[in-house]
Amino acid sequence: MIDTIEKEDNIISEEEAAQYDRQIRLWGLDAQKRLRGSRVLLVGLRGLGAEVAKNLILAGVKGLTLLDHEQVTEESRRAQFLIPVDADGQNQAQASLERAQLLNPMVEVKADTDEVESKPDDFFFQFDAVCLTRCSKDLMVRVDQLCASRNIKVFCGDVYGYHGYMFSDLGQEHHYVEEKPKVVKASNEANDAPEAKKPKIDPNETTMVKKTVSFCSLKEALEVDWTNEKAKSNLKRTPADYFLLQGAVSERCSAQELFLLRRPEGQRGGRLLRIQISGPWRTRERCVAMHVCSRNTMEFIFCQCATGIKICLLDGTFA
Amino acid sequence: MSLGFIQSRLQLSRSSRGRQLNQLRVLSQRARSLRMREPLPSPQDQTAACPRRRNAEPTMAQLVGPLRKELADSLSSCRVLVVGAGGIGCELLKNLVLTGFKNIEVIDLDTIDVSNLNRQFLFQKKHVGKSKAQVAKESVLRFCPSANITAYHDSIMNPDYNVEFFRNFQLVMNALDNRAARNHVNRMCLAADIPLIESGTAGYLGQVTVIKKGQTECYECQPKPTQKTFPGCTIRNTPSEPIHCIVWAKYLFNQLFGEEDADQEVSPDTADPEAAWNPADAAARATASDQDGDIKRVSTKEWARSTGYDPVKLFNKLFKDDIMYLLTMDKLWKKRKAPLPLDWTEIQQTECSQEEACGTGLKDQQVLGVQGYAQLFHRSVETLRSQLTEKGDGAELVWDKDDPPAMDFVTAASNLRMNVFSMNMKSRFDVKSMAGNIIPAIATTNAVIAGLIVMEALKILNSDFEQCRTIFLNKQPNPRKKLLVPCALDPPNASCYVCASKPEVTVKLNVHKTIVQALQDKILKEKFGMVAPDVQIEDGKGTILISSEEGETEANNNKFLSDFGIRNGSRLQADDFLQDYTLIVNVIHSEELEKDVEFEVVGDAPDKAPAPSAPEEGKNIANGNKDSAQPSTSSKAAAEDDDVLIVDSDEEPSSSTMDASQESSNRKRKHHDADTDDAASKRKRLDQQPADDDEDIIALD
Repeated sequence: MIDTIEKEDNIISEEEAAQYDRQIRLWGLDAQKRLRGSRVLLVGLRGLGAEVAKNLILAGVKGLTLLDHEQVTEESRRAQFLIPVDADGQNQAQASLERAQLLNPMVEVKADTDEVESKPDDFFFQFDAVCLTRCSKDLMVRVDQLCASRNIKVFCGDVYGYHGYMFSDLGQEHHYVEEKPKVVKASNEANDAPEAKKPKIDPNETTMVKKTVSFCSLKEALEVDWTNEKAKSNLKRTPADYFLLQGAVSERCSAQELFLLRRPEGQRGGRLLRIQISGPWRTRERCVAMHVCSRNTMEFIFCQCATGIKICLLDGTFA
Repeated sequence: MSLGFIQSRLQLSRSSRGRQLNQLRVLSQRARSLRMREPLPSPQDQTAACPRRRNAEPTMAQLVGPLRKELADSLSSCRVLVVGAGGIGCELLKNLVLTGFKNIEVIDLDTIDVSNLNRQFLFQKKHVGKSKAQVAKESVLRFCPSANITAYHDSIMNPDYNVEFFRNFQLVMNALDNRAARNHVNRMCLAADIPLIESGTAGYLGQVTVIKKGQTECYECQPKPTQKTFPGCTIRNTPSEPIHCIVWAKYLFNQLFGEEDADQEVSPDTADPEAAWNPADAAARATASDQDGDIKRVSTKEWARSTGYDPVKLFNKLFKDDIMYLLTMDKLWKKRKAPLPLDWTEIQQTECSQEEACGTGLKDQQVLGVQGYAQLFHRSVETLRSQLTEKGDGAELVWDKDDPPAMDFVTAASNLRMNVFSMNMKSRFDVKSMAGNIIPAIATTNAVIAGLIVMEALKILNSDFEQCRTIFLNKQPNPRKKLLVPCALDPPNASCYVCASKPEVTVKLNVHKTIVQALQDKILKEKFGMVAPDVQIEDGKGTILISSEEGETEANNNKFLSDFGIRNGSRLQADDFLQDYTLIVNVIHSEELEKDVEFEVVGDAPDKAPAPSAPEEGKNIANGNKDSAQPSTSSKAAAEDDDVLIVDSDEEPSSSTMDASQESSNRKRKHHDADTDDAASKRKRLDQQPADDDEDIIALD
């Protein structure tokens, strides 16, 4: 696990010190060593996946596995910057591999063309952290649960046009350190020299304070009961994109298919609908997710969607 | 044919400067196209240059779901300028191209360094030493061959990039790391009336804002704290922090090996007011030859040369003799711990003290002992001495944090001085941070900021200017759990000395002691951000004081302002024609300026220390918070809300860079919590939801 640093990883080479200089100066050598010792799984190599891959590889993790079963299409290629222009038809992870590796030769980058749904539990156990993009809700919940037992960190995320979400589960007991300015204690030495004559302590010195925090699981986060009073009072402060997670994620609409409407109506509650629109009107949108909409609003939408359009109501209702 | 040549051909009489300016502009445009640069393509060149596009493939823009066709089309045709191809620049270029921008010009004067590779992902190890703009362009073309990118390995402050050049673009985006360039681009965009998206990052923090002439504050509307400087006597006599010793060591480098600067004296300062000798004593000291002999009358460099840059002699002078001299200034040490001189021979003879085991740290993070630093001093002096000899007569070295012997020298000299003044010594790693003004940097902060820049750009191109915001990226979520905090843009400052209609400033100085060169360099260029000032005196005769033409007014440089009849109440008109900027400077004569202060701008806020104080933050959050529904503890809010820095992160330039005049500075900006549920909220407090969601579902149409 990344809590302990292996002996052979203790020495940072000159090359690493030079390349990682600016980030070592930010998060410290210790953190850099932890990164250097960690293996990460990344599922999904579209736009979001490519960004995550880039950031992890530049940071200097030990290894990154790119997992994606889909093939490169023109659309997917234009969404990211790792796939060469002549790679249409290849596997997405494979196609991204070369440029990903070039970002930082010191990281072991691998490609896996399997479908993530087909992976057995122990596949995930070889990693210290798992990043899931473009995954179904069920898969994310499953992976989150099995990783919890092994203290593997889980991050989920997806984007839908201008909208997106990221969910992190670092476990029930996540230990970390926080940098705080050093408190200058009064000296205990018997000393008759005036205060100013003592050697100065650099006012910029800091110290690391150990802390622990608890994260909830993805399952818990999705199963919040919105009917109770506490949840309702938090409704206003809850980002609408949370409901995106509920609605759009369960069916994995693509970016073009989602149109998110928001109409904050305070405490009056509302109904979360998903409307499937098929037909010539608004061919780009197929899914309308509404958050906290009034009755009038819903009626208006029904009218707009009248001609040859399928409407279905979905989960997530709350009084 | 060079621009300079064209300019001198146009020497007309002073009164026709206006006409001259217009002609200059026209000709400079032609001159630029005459030069062997990549030509600026017009939109119709695209298809010719990009055969792939002829097949009417769906454009990238249409595939990025949320963009309307009109917006997608305008992205394809508009031209944008990206200033800087570093941390933010690489991410920004990638974002622009993937969003569907087609015509992009990028400019950067810098070359690639290995320390860039942790975040400037368009560069690889094999590119170290090459032009950032050029390699960035090549890397982007690899994943988007149809992009039309022009790269300039040049400084944006080059007069070739005049107002006409800027007018070619619909949008300019800064990805800079220094204030001088930001000031300059700010003025050029004001002059050309082009929207500018300004941004900056430092560590985990970042910020994006939009600047539009007449509608928002410009970059210089709010005075920014100038870079912290230390009084000469602190550096020379009474250092109390490692940074004082480091600054001293850098001065020493210049005095010995580089360009000597009268403001960078390293020898004990006998004029220190704290030393306060009685007049007779002071006079005696000033003229007496002490154990230093004639040192006081010759420059440090001359003395060093006379000893052949003997490291041991140098060591003893700096860390023994000069210290012993300081000790005679006993008033200084009444309330301070007195310095302890070092002797070279003694150090060699003492047991080598146990140095901290290397253990888990980087080699550079070791803190050596006095012996270690003495040895390092010796070695680096010898190396630098040979570097100097190699370069020949009259050679000067330029300090560069990435030049190992130069960095070794400053590490050694500053640590020896820290030891003398009883401070805990610092590792090379830490000294490099301070000496080189290094701002820590990671890829992700830049990625976030670059994403926000494009979001603002889309608003601008969509004519949704009311949606534009300043956005702060914080290190911790605020009490409302926001990491990204938007604020409304402020309107222009009516008394801004840049964007107000007829800007004026008042400067306090001593007309008998200020020379013309100082007016040009320290005041007009450094303080007021001009690049090539022309100055005339409003004395009814329009007397020319400074001309931006090289050599024209050189004879004036060392004369005092008073020599030209400038006195209390005089008005000077300073123009920078490149920036299309005119500033009236009102002169107030004063003989009571503080020591080491050459001039004061009346109305400037006093220099603030960079570190925030918690009560200050608390006050701001509390004052800004009118929403009674806020969660209870404003004091808690204060503790959790970090002040955000807009940082001009100048690293000391490596020798490969062209721009030698960079400074680093921090700016504290009070950020405003953007969430409110209160309908009658202050202007700065914004609804959490974007405005259009309040409308009815006409959004469906």
